[in-house]
Amino acid sequence: MKNLIRMLMMLSILGALALGSSAQDTEISLLQWSHFVPRYDEWFDAYAAEWGEANGIGVTVDHVNFTELFSTLAAEIDAGDGHSIVEVLFSPASFIDGLHDLRDINEAAAAAHGERASTCGAASYLPVNDTWYAYTHGYVPDPGDYDIALWTEVGYPEGPKTYDDLLEGGRAIYEATGIPVGIGMSPELDSRMANRAAIWSFGGSIQDENENVVLNSEETIAAVKYLAQLQNEAMTDEVFGWTAASNNQALIAGEVSYILNSNSAYRSLQKIDEAAAANIGFTPALEGPAGAYASSHVWQIYVIPKYVEGAELEAAKKFILDHTANYSDVTYHSELYNFPCYASTVPELDGWLEADPWGSEPPNKFEVLKTVNDWSVHLGFPGVTNPAISQVFAESIIPNMVAQVALGEMSAEDAVAQAQERIEEIFGEWRARGLVGGG
Amino acid sequence: MNLLGLGKYPLDNRRLIGALFLTPALLYILLLVGFPFVLSIAFGFSDVTVGNTDLSYVGFRNFLNVWENDIFRQVFETTIRFTLLSQIFILIFANILAVIFTQDFTGKWFARFIFILPWATPVSLAMIGWLWMLDTKYSPIDYLLLQMGLLGRGGLLSDNRNLFWLAAPDLAQISVIFVQVWRMTPLATVILMAGLSSIPTDILDQAEVDGSRFMRTLLQIKLPLILPIMVIALLFSMITMFGDMTVVYVLTRGGPVDYTRVLGLYSFQVGIEGGNLAQGAAISLFAFPLLLAMAIFMLRTASRAEVR
Repeated sequence: MKNLIRMLMMLSILGALALGSSAQDTEISLLQWSHFVPRYDEWFDAYAAEWGEANGIGVTVDHVNFTELFSTLAAEIDAGDGHSIVEVLFSPASFIDGLHDLRDINEAAAAAHGERASTCGAASYLPVNDTWYAYTHGYVPDPGDYDIALWTEVGYPEGPKTYDDLLEGGRAIYEATGIPVGIGMSPELDSRMANRAAIWSFGGSIQDENENVVLNSEETIAAVKYLAQLQNEAMTDEVFGWTAASNNQALIAGEVSYILNSNSAYRSLQKIDEAAAANIGFTPALEGPAGAYASSHVWQIYVIPKYVEGAELEAAKKFILDHTANYSDVTYHSELYNFPCYASTVPELDGWLEADPWGSEPPNKFEVLKTVNDWSVHLGFPGVTNPAISQVFAESIIPNMVAQVALGEMSAEDAVAQAQERIEEIFGEWRARGLVGGG
Repeated sequence: MNLLGLGKYPLDNRRLIGALFLTPALLYILLLVGFPFVLSIAFGFSDVTVGNTDLSYVGFRNFLNVWENDIFRQVFETTIRFTLLSQIFILIFANILAVIFTQDFTGKWFARFIFILPWATPVSLAMIGWLWMLDTKYSPIDYLLLQMGLLGRGGLLSDNRNLFWLAAPDLAQISVIFVQVWRMTPLATVILMAGLSSIPTDILDQAEVDGSRFMRTLLQIKLPLILPIMVIALLFSMITMFGDMTVVYVLTRGGPVDYTRVLGLYSFQVGIEGGNLAQGAAISLFAFPLLLAMAIFMLRTASRAEVR
């Protein structure tokens, strides 16, 4: 009997050791951006380490500047070696052939957490080959940020609600104070988003639902004319040379009356000057002739390159799903920057928007974001974000088209026609690869 | 000891030593220049994307598509214009500075040290400094101009408080060319200084005895003698600048509109950021025949000048 007990104990120890060693053998690594909210990275790194300990899996997290994510992912796919999970901020549709199909975890998340925000699905799924090339866990709203005192002075205490308001009020403020509206028209991220928002709200778009190029339309031309007029009458030429940080800096310095941005500019101001931050209000997407749409500011998109296999692949998928299940922490520690793709994972969200846990004054400053899913769309809207849309985004074709007209170098009709021509070339190339529908 | 039957002492064998000394340079060229170059040619003739590196041959399709692209043609022209304009200024400043730095004066070594810094500083770091200097709103240059009354209401240069260095099309182009000249002039100067130092002193003494003054000695003796070296300096500078993308990537990302977009940047935006690796490679390869022709022409010019 004693021998049997000894043998069972020995077997148990050996079994535990074997399990332990196989678990310890599994390691995953993550590459993601250095979050705009440093507090989030502190939380995330600790969370990842705890998750690793709890699951017996080694976890390494590397952070890089967001501009390096795509080039690093490209290098790792080409080398066939690198991080297990890479988080990018824009749809990585052009990487699709080098990425695992994540249908299983997208379906598992939908089954566990219910409805997914449409802006998230469209940044992860390519209908033309029915592939979930990514898993989008969060997105960032891109509301309007306005100077309450300035807009109150010209009769809009709740900020502009329509594009007409923006032009009328913005022009009145500029004429009275010299403080301009701040909608970028330069080859950078925020300009690309803001210009698209106007085009969508005027009824134009780069492509239709079936991925056919439809940029050259009366609606797009009207939007471009509007933006040029807005620039000429309510803005300075600085917007042609803005970087992604310029509108944040201008808002913090009190030198713009209205920008489109995530809450990061406001949060920075809040930490520097609470009184000035209290003077910043938020508006949802502005109403245009065809509706109110704004692009999400960025998306938090996980991909798993094809070189990840076996236990590492399974561990990576488990990490992603567990991370989604903990999204209340994600949203909270990002200071409400990351919004959940699955609303049910953050039941506290509406309460936080009514009473900002990070001390906004008034506390319900972010309440306008309750409607975000009604107006926040994705880069390929009304189609999906396919590789052609990503290349159009990378080449800054839209803000350059708008800037040409605002600078008086080209008519809106010619600029839109020229942009359509280049976009059709891009769509044609990706369509030939079988990665874009329509045609 | 007689290794390989090459002589009594292997180190006396000139062929062996020559091969040994050349090997690291050859390996460097093969691995870090030759291999990526061949790979980019392969990419240019294929359908490769950032996600799919299978090299399926598509002939000249990428090159034809690139050539039909209006933006590419503008980018190509901008690259040539920026390169040529920069070289004119680099050549003028490098010659002046090389002459100054080969004279004897107090603090020469310190002046040389300060002068070489733009070349020694990592380019991305230096560009972040320039990004701040030329900021559309917080430029210290604008601040000084404002204090001098040249900017602001009634200002001689502009009624605005800023000149918008990187936002106004003309100023953005001038800014990029200026920064390239600032960055590349030290290298050209150092090469020319080496050339000036290598002129035999007996020739200069002879000229002095014959009564040649400074400008005549410079224009008729020194400059003709260092012409081959000047051509090499120019070649280095042109090739470096033609392929550079860091300056515009940090300063303007090609804007406003496409005014400062150059080949290197456009290739990166299409190939890496846009995912269309094959077309990105094709864009970058368009520079190759031009640079090759330029290099052959300049090296021949240098060689002829040397013979004379």
